[in-house]
Amino acid sequence: MHDPAPTDPALTDPALTDPAPTDLTPSDDAMPSDDAMPSDDAMPTDRATPSGVVAQDAVPKGATADPAAGLDWRRVHPVTPLVRGWAVLVAVLVVVGQQSFGGVVSGDGLDLTRYWVQVLLGVVVLLLGALGISALAWRKTSFAIDDDSVHLRTGILFKQQRNARLTRLQAVDLNQPLLGRLVGLAELRLEVAGGADSAVRIGFLRLADAEQLRNEILARAAGVARRPDAAAGVPGHPANDGAGHASSAGHAPSVATGPGEAPADPTGADAAMVDAATADAVTVEAATAGAAASTPATPAGTPGLVPGTPAHGLGLAVEAPERPVLELAPGRLVWSLVRSLPFVAFVVGVAALVGVAIGTRDLSIAYAALPAALGAGGFLFSRFSGEFGFRSAISPDGVRLRHGLLESRAQTIPPGRVQAVQLHQGMLWRDRDWWRVEVNVAGYGVTSESSSVLLPVGTRDEALTALWLVLPDLGDAHAREVLDEALVGSGPGERFTTAPRRARWLDPWAWQRQGFAVTGTALLLRRGRFVRSTVVVPHERTQSLGLDQGPLQRRLGVASFAVHSTPGPVSPSVAHLDERDAAALIDAQAARARRAREHAGPEQWMRSVLAVVGDES
Amino acid sequence: MDPQPTHPGPFDPAGVEWSSVSPRLVPARLLVVGIVCAVPVVVGALLAVLLSAPWWWLLAGVPAAVFVWSCVLVPRQVRATRYAERDDDLLIRRGIMFRSLVVVPYGRLQYVDVEAGPFAARFGIAKVQLHTASPATDAAVPGLPPAEAARLRDRLSERGQARLAGL
Repeated sequence: MHDPAPTDPALTDPALTDPAPTDLTPSDDAMPSDDAMPSDDAMPTDRATPSGVVAQDAVPKGATADPAAGLDWRRVHPVTPLVRGWAVLVAVLVVVGQQSFGGVVSGDGLDLTRYWVQVLLGVVVLLLGALGISALAWRKTSFAIDDDSVHLRTGILFKQQRNARLTRLQAVDLNQPLLGRLVGLAELRLEVAGGADSAVRIGFLRLADAEQLRNEILARAAGVARRPDAAAGVPGHPANDGAGHASSAGHAPSVATGPGEAPADPTGADAAMVDAATADAVTVEAATAGAAASTPATPAGTPGLVPGTPAHGLGLAVEAPERPVLELAPGRLVWSLVRSLPFVAFVVGVAALVGVAIGTRDLSIAYAALPAALGAGGFLFSRFSGEFGFRSAISPDGVRLRHGLLESRAQTIPPGRVQAVQLHQGMLWRDRDWWRVEVNVAGYGVTSESSSVLLPVGTRDEALTALWLVLPDLGDAHAREVLDEALVGSGPGERFTTAPRRARWLDPWAWQRQGFAVTGTALLLRRGRFVRSTVVVPHERTQSLGLDQGPLQRRLGVASFAVHSTPGPVSPSVAHLDERDAAALIDAQAARARRAREHAGPEQWMRSVLAVVGDES
Repeated sequence: MDPQPTHPGPFDPAGVEWSSVSPRLVPARLLVVGIVCAVPVVVGALLAVLLSAPWWWLLAGVPAAVFVWSCVLVPRQVRATRYAERDDDLLIRRGIMFRSLVVVPYGRLQYVDVEAGPFAARFGIAKVQLHTASPATDAAVPGLPPAEAARLRDRLSERGQARLAGL
């Protein structure tokens, strides 16, 4: 609604309304002619300015005038339809196979031959048709990126052009399904928080291309428009080395050696973040400077610099340096699953079934219960395969998460995109003090459950490190104490306001856990006595607030408070607070959220860092 | 006018001036309840008369009782539904038995709907539905005269633009 760009690109895109299949030609032609004309200074100036900050301000005018012009449209890998549609293909073959084997039994010699010929013909025609449609679909699928959005064109009959604004980018995932891994292809998934199925899926691409595209998109979304030829002028190695050196000399120990201490020292943690980010910014500056030095005859704005750009348009962006933070050992993942309720239920259920089957010598009960056992087993396996090899890392582009046994996934969640964090501890994890950390990220929603996991299982220190990754500054000098109280505390404490004693009528077990605390940057809500849960919501990520009171609650003078967050596994709420506390909380929280929003950082997260660097130099 | 206790409870933040919704919402809601209840009442009564089986009256009696109860409840509910425009957020209050209060910051509004069903349109009322990025935000102001609904919508959009923040 606030998007100044035309919402229906089809209206303004001449290439889309053009029925000719040569949809790549107009933009390809348009590009060099634009660049070759020195008189047409608007586009070349924007594109050639070495400083991304300046270029960012200037580009939208040109870009919104005609989104299709001047874009370098690229195609995905030709194998894409096969990778996407192999399941359908297999299904067709299986169905045909079943049908024909049914026919074998009842046919005699001549009929049989004729039948097989027909079947084969049918399959060939079907495959050819599918191949043709796939080829056409592939031909009609193309994507392009410019400084403020990603464009994706798809569709044969019903054309669709999707234009995702980079300032609205919530997360970038690099997915490799099993088949994709075998052939070295990956799919890029850009989440832009537009509700269900709003993700922009670009794929499949060769893995290296996909990674470069991701880096390029992240760099542009961060507000650091790293020009491709700048990166080309200076190969990635010196830049990476410089950044790696800076970060290891700086604050690497605070993460690598003492993860538990990191959250307790918010200022240090914050400094580490800025430092890492600064390191990257410096490398970018260095890269740009290097490029300028390598091409001294072409100052900014001269068209001479530009022809390098459309040749590849993307790629060659230096990957932001990252530092590994946490790694999950397979053994612990297995143990954490063994100590989970589904596994216990699974084992107990299977044991009971076997007992019944042996006792009654009747297998029909076992058959009846088979689906339930398969369901539990499937859940456990999907957990295991989805979270296998989980690693997290921090980079100036945000948090990087990698996981997956069969289908591998590399997620990047830029800073400030996490809407709420939940630390969760099942009953059987208590003696190990294990926690699971989940987040709400707009765009992931509730369907892609494995995407919303920040840490599948980890000790308390590791869980707090994971929290620190997405919320480096809790805004409290004694962050560790606050968090300890939030995780395992009970009853009214130093910082926590809890439900009053009279709430035990409504919540006899957990009333002492129900509580909230406020720090400088976030609201902490805790609940659950047997299954502990702590939710952290940054003030500036509050969507709306709610207060509810039923008749029993009114009699007891208590009320339930909720923060409404984007769709995801975390639903921040606390029940049965004293109604005066609840009323004060909703009032104060509305004001705090407003103040936090006013001081929230820019959507292009590197801009603030660049501003700092600019001031210092 | 308001039979509810007006002591400053949790649902009455200090310094908030509440606006009421249109009383025309009462007949509009009762009409819907009435239509829903009328079907089993008629069927039950017909069967009771035709089959001369008295327990069919039960089928007619229960929805009739529901309707009578609604006649008592709905006017109170409508009176309890209020909203207030503050400088930075909109408050919506609802319910007597189950009360709720929602605070929606203008800067968080993604879009605003104005809806009027066939019955609501007949009674000259409309509903303003607020949408944030959270599906949990259950914020709607029912029973507004169309002019007021349009004004509220425009005002919300305008303030939302002014205070717009990223997600």
